[in-house]
Amino acid sequence: MATREAGKKMIMLKSPDGMEFEVEEAVAMESQTIRKMIEDDCADTAILIPNINSKILSRVIEYCNKHVPTTGATGAAASDTVAPAALAEDLKIWDAEFIKVNRATRFDLIQAASYLNIKGLLDLTSQTTIDTISDNSLEEIRSFLSTKNDYLPEEEQTIRRENQWAFQ
Amino acid sequence: MEDGRIQTTPNLPQDILMAIFAAFEIPDLLRAGSVCSSWRSAYETLRNHGLYNQSQTPCLLYTSESDGESTARLYSLVEKKAYRLTLPDPPIRTRSLIGSSPQGLLVTADDRSEMHLLNPITGQQIALPSVITIRQVSPIYDDSGILRMYRYSAHTRHTVLALPANLALSELRHQLHHKAFVFSLSGGGGHIVVLIHNPSCQLSFARVGAESWTWLPPHTSYDDCMYKDGLMHAVTSKGEIHGFDLASPAPVATMKIIMEGPMTYRYLRMYIIQAPWGDLLQVWRKFGDRDLGDTPRSSVFWTTGKIRVYKVDAVANELERTSCLRGHALFLGHNQSLCLSTEEYPALKANHAYFTDDCKYWTMGLQNNRRDMGILNLDDNSSEELVSPHLWSNRPAPIWITPNLREINFNLDN
Repeated sequence: MATREAGKKMIMLKSPDGMEFEVEEAVAMESQTIRKMIEDDCADTAILIPNINSKILSRVIEYCNKHVPTTGATGAAASDTVAPAALAEDLKIWDAEFIKVNRATRFDLIQAASYLNIKGLLDLTSQTTIDTISDNSLEEIRSFLSTKNDYLPEEEQTIRRENQWAFQ
Repeated sequence: MEDGRIQTTPNLPQDILMAIFAAFEIPDLLRAGSVCSSWRSAYETLRNHGLYNQSQTPCLLYTSESDGESTARLYSLVEKKAYRLTLPDPPIRTRSLIGSSPQGLLVTADDRSEMHLLNPITGQQIALPSVITIRQVSPIYDDSGILRMYRYSAHTRHTVLALPANLALSELRHQLHHKAFVFSLSGGGGHIVVLIHNPSCQLSFARVGAESWTWLPPHTSYDDCMYKDGLMHAVTSKGEIHGFDLASPAPVATMKIIMEGPMTYRYLRMYIIQAPWGDLLQVWRKFGDRDLGDTPRSSVFWTTGKIRVYKVDAVANELERTSCLRGHALFLGHNQSLCLSTEEYPALKANHAYFTDDCKYWTMGLQNNRRDMGILNLDDNSSEELVSPHLWSNRPAPIWITPNLREINFNLDN
């Protein structure tokens, strides 16, 4: 089992490119996928996270570190002195900074959040994508997201004609 | 593929794309669904299985004099923008808009006073049973068998209010029709259209796909209807609530009195709404400034002054004035009345009522009068314009509609 003496249980997360990250169990358990593995006692030494490279995994851990509820011994001081509303506001600002990444990284983060089942991170990354798409024309969406138009010209004509009104 | 500038195509898995698309309002969903084949496939799965966002923010549907006869505008409260829709015949500008259901269906009355269900988003349309099967209406044919006029008999079960009158085909709808509702019966029981009609705001109903309307006498003075737990609830202008079991063998619908009438206030429109938190609400929309004669005239007008919300306690037969609409918005008019959470619909203002005109004589008979519409703050009864400047034509009267992409298979109804 991981170290218990320090008062906090630590978990080792391994990315497929060989990096290891030691994180507090509470932080790792922000991921429902990892929580389930820990609860089922599948997390004896280290957990290999397939499909998520070290660059993305470190960002995910950064997110979980910030979002883990501060109810423990170290968090008590912070939540005693700061009003919950202010904390939430602070978190919002932090999130807004956190998500200022390029589109490829954002899509990687969405996939990581989906695989690890971290609702807050999935909501944040998805919402940012939703905001990029909302109120924009087809060409703008394609250009923001660098998504390729893989239709033949006549196919695109048909598809557009179908719901012409939405392209005004 | 031809575009050499694009190096990588970040492709999200279909399930994640669908999760994201499921949050969209319909215009955004349609655009996203056209971006590329992978996105289109996610869109089609959502559409075909009805998995897209069913909590669409209501839009205002209106027509404009600067558009063609078959064009309607759909004003999105989210985008604060109007889309132009081209709709199937009969031309939308020649119809009256008498109902709109949460399934995205309009109920219209055309210039022969016949009714249709129309989904303005998909263009799906179905004719309702002929108006001549309504008890108070009979056809008048000429010698060559062509329908020329309707004979309108102004009677209820117990009273004859006027001598029968011969009305032009397009005139009947201004006398007879008031407000229509579409209910999906529980347990796959098909779709029912309920019509509040004159004289005296009685009820008739028809199963979609059936041949005729069924009269529901003897009660009169109905203002609004809703469907809950297998029972249609209808509220009268006195605040009485009646329950009808429409699934029971026609033509007899069993009726019970849920609540007795608490009041006799005259200048009022009454609504009945199921709140998301479970309560049954009675909403009173009171006249403010008005000039209401006994006969419709062009000088006649009214404006909404106050809107009050009451919780119905059917057991104690009491109404309890409530101010707990915090976090919710009301939609009132010819649409099926709605109470929506502003958490779920962030574009809406909490504790506000979004209302369109549904005054029974003036929206129909006086087609070109000013419409009483706006957004009313329930805290202080101050109101603001819905869209400024007024871009809508007063005829047909604008109506709220909840956009829906679903094609309803009405053939299953019979």
